[in-house]
Amino acid sequence: MNHDRPSVPETPQVVAGLLAEFDRPETLVAAAARVKAAGYRTWDCHSPFPVHGIDPAMGIRPTILPWLVVGAGTAGVLVALVMQWWTNAVDYPLNISGKPLFSLPANIPVTFELLILFSALTAFLGALALNGLPFFSNPIFSNPRFRRVTNDRFFVSISAADPAFGEEATRAFLQSLDGVAVVEPFHRPAAPPKIPAAFHIAGALAVCMACFPPLLIAYARATKSAKPRIHVWPDMDSQAKYQTQTAHPLFPDRRSMRAGVPGTVAVGRLNADERLYEGKDGEQWVTSVPVEIDAERMRRGKERYEIYCAPCHGLSGEGDGIMAQRALEREEPWVRRSLVDDYAVKLPVGSIFNTIRHGKNTMLPYGAQVPPADRWAIVLYVKALQRAQNATIDDVPEELRDKLQ
Amino acid sequence: MHTKEVPNIADEPNTLADVGPRLRRYAAIVGGVALALALISGLFIGDGGKYLLHSYLTSYCFFLSLSLGGLFFVAVQHASRAGWSVSVRRIAEILGGNLPLMALLALPILVPVLLGNGHLYPWVDRAYLDAHPVVAQKTAWLNGWSFAGRCAVYFAIWALMARFFLNGSTKQDEQGGTELTLRMERWSPLALILFALTITCASVDLVMSLSPEWFSTIFGVYYFSGSTVGALATIIVVACLLQRAGRLTHAITVEHYHELGKLLFAFVVFWGYIAFSQYMLIWYANIPEETRYYLARQTGGAGAVVGPWAYVSLLLVAGHLLIPFVGLLSRHVKRNRKLLVGWAVWLLVFHWVDMYWLVMPSLGRPGLPFGFTDVFCILGLGGAYVAGTLWIAGDRRWIAVKDPRMSEALVFENT
Repeated sequence: MNHDRPSVPETPQVVAGLLAEFDRPETLVAAAARVKAAGYRTWDCHSPFPVHGIDPAMGIRPTILPWLVVGAGTAGVLVALVMQWWTNAVDYPLNISGKPLFSLPANIPVTFELLILFSALTAFLGALALNGLPFFSNPIFSNPRFRRVTNDRFFVSISAADPAFGEEATRAFLQSLDGVAVVEPFHRPAAPPKIPAAFHIAGALAVCMACFPPLLIAYARATKSAKPRIHVWPDMDSQAKYQTQTAHPLFPDRRSMRAGVPGTVAVGRLNADERLYEGKDGEQWVTSVPVEIDAERMRRGKERYEIYCAPCHGLSGEGDGIMAQRALEREEPWVRRSLVDDYAVKLPVGSIFNTIRHGKNTMLPYGAQVPPADRWAIVLYVKALQRAQNATIDDVPEELRDKLQ
Repeated sequence: MHTKEVPNIADEPNTLADVGPRLRRYAAIVGGVALALALISGLFIGDGGKYLLHSYLTSYCFFLSLSLGGLFFVAVQHASRAGWSVSVRRIAEILGGNLPLMALLALPILVPVLLGNGHLYPWVDRAYLDAHPVVAQKTAWLNGWSFAGRCAVYFAIWALMARFFLNGSTKQDEQGGTELTLRMERWSPLALILFALTITCASVDLVMSLSPEWFSTIFGVYYFSGSTVGALATIIVVACLLQRAGRLTHAITVEHYHELGKLLFAFVVFWGYIAFSQYMLIWYANIPEETRYYLARQTGGAGAVVGPWAYVSLLLVAGHLLIPFVGLLSRHVKRNRKLLVGWAVWLLVFHWVDMYWLVMPSLGRPGLPFGFTDVFCILGLGGAYVAGTLWIAGDRRWIAVKDPRMSEALVFENT
């Protein structure tokens, strides 16, 4: 016994329980029923594979794990919904294209993921906890016969901690079981083994080291520093290139940001036609659209307008877009900007073009999203809206006037 | 490890040779009469059969999906070399065996298309194509003859696969051995690939092209997920009916119901996952050419923001996902035959509602269209389907008695 662990025999051993060995799963199930009937409490069955029917034979009640998983899954759903509702609709509400602040379809993916996460973690950790794992050392392994439990033998073990345990009586009982091959004790050290001092030192060191990160974080939060922050993984932050507002050793003025060489134009950037690209004629806004006007361009303008402009200015140009509607609902400050009132009607087309390109007041620039040709198409469509919204009966073709009456 | 006795199934009744022919006659009569009544009541509506065609297609897609799901079930059991399912696999094989009949029942859908009648599929209509240039671009795919030709290909492939598995398995009932099983296992991966391609194209042709301007690349998966829910529910119901008639009383145990219940539960969740994946992308992008599909299922066609179809949509979310999710969650429900069959019937009803939700909105009528024609179409196609199933079953056993994995299936236990 214990021939491969020479240090163990030196410590005095006491009996920790008795093992009964069987060679068939059927006899194990029958034996389990008898052990249970004999009134033992602290005992177990061991087998190389799950044996059907062992749970009722041992009197093991169905696990409560499913209920824990259902509870955790429900909690995951609630946490996800409340978190998304609070962050999006309460703590930091942002009006994005007039979309609702809290909207179930958008929140389903996170809700689904947290349902899965909470359920899976609970199932995994719950299974460990309910089985009393991790369990680092079991005295049952002191009996070398027990090694065959992973191969072709089946065991019943009764612990000496069981109130009904008596070494001789229990041994006689186990030997009376049908199909039992051998009954042997297994041992544990009489006194719990001492933990070596090196383990205490290593543990204390580990605890000290573990205090450093939270202390550093707390220090950093409480103080101010002129130095750049610590880069733990600097690969994306520090790239080998000159960035804006940094010094450059090559140029006399030491600036890394350079203006283009005077008198040169980058390929494809020669926007020489000032009327087309600036909407200007000298110092004046152009008053006529410098592109060809046809039905195709009008259609294009309508399409682009409804994508980029309608969320705020509204489909009819009256400034009643979904952004304005939402802002009104929530009593947020909002300046409603009509494109079809007297002021807008009098604006030269070049000025409208310029506003699309550079923005104005609270309106952001759309020059990056809308190329010049499309800007003019939108201007055309805005002029059409102005015409339509300020139309008189004379503008309606005669044959259609009857329908209006 | 099997500690339980292998039940002896050699002596228990496992065919419907005695009552089958009588039931088949009844089903055929009910089906025939109901289809005739559907035709009369459909023509009575006075819209040139438009309503009748939509109603027929709804129920047709429902029953077609049961056979397709059955075929998938069989192929996947062979591909995964499953042992547990051997005692219920023949039910799915017989459901799949109905596919040639479904080809015949597709004629009322195909013939109007070939005759140039655009009541069902608007892309057949010349005037519709002129008014919808986007759909006119799709006529290389969406035209009568290529539509009918593709349907012929789908049904040829399906019928071939279904006969292959059903006949191979039936032949094994006599000759035994492992050779036939190995042969079916070898071909099952190819069958699954062909199945995936054909069910995707078929659902696009038969259902998605009802709204030819609209498109969804996940549509085939959506139809497949519902089909599998329908087929699993049908297998559960048929297994229960067979056992109540004193067949297969030992061969099918509570363990098999439990396992079928688990699959049913999984595919209910899968259906919800796919349905929501399709919905969320369209809802989020909010592009008119995509949202129109859901708009039609929200407004009821009358232009109001919320119409009667919205209630059908919400009913599907509740009845096809949330309620059966909670209902089928527990192990005890799946191991209780009565409760499980109850949920199977529930899901069959909602699978039909799903088909109704897919097909009927393209009728473009205000309100929820439902009437005698729909009832007659369900009864007519249902009668034909039951009669066809019993005809395919004939003298066949409802269980693959000599499958080499039979003993594994008989002592199978859920751990």
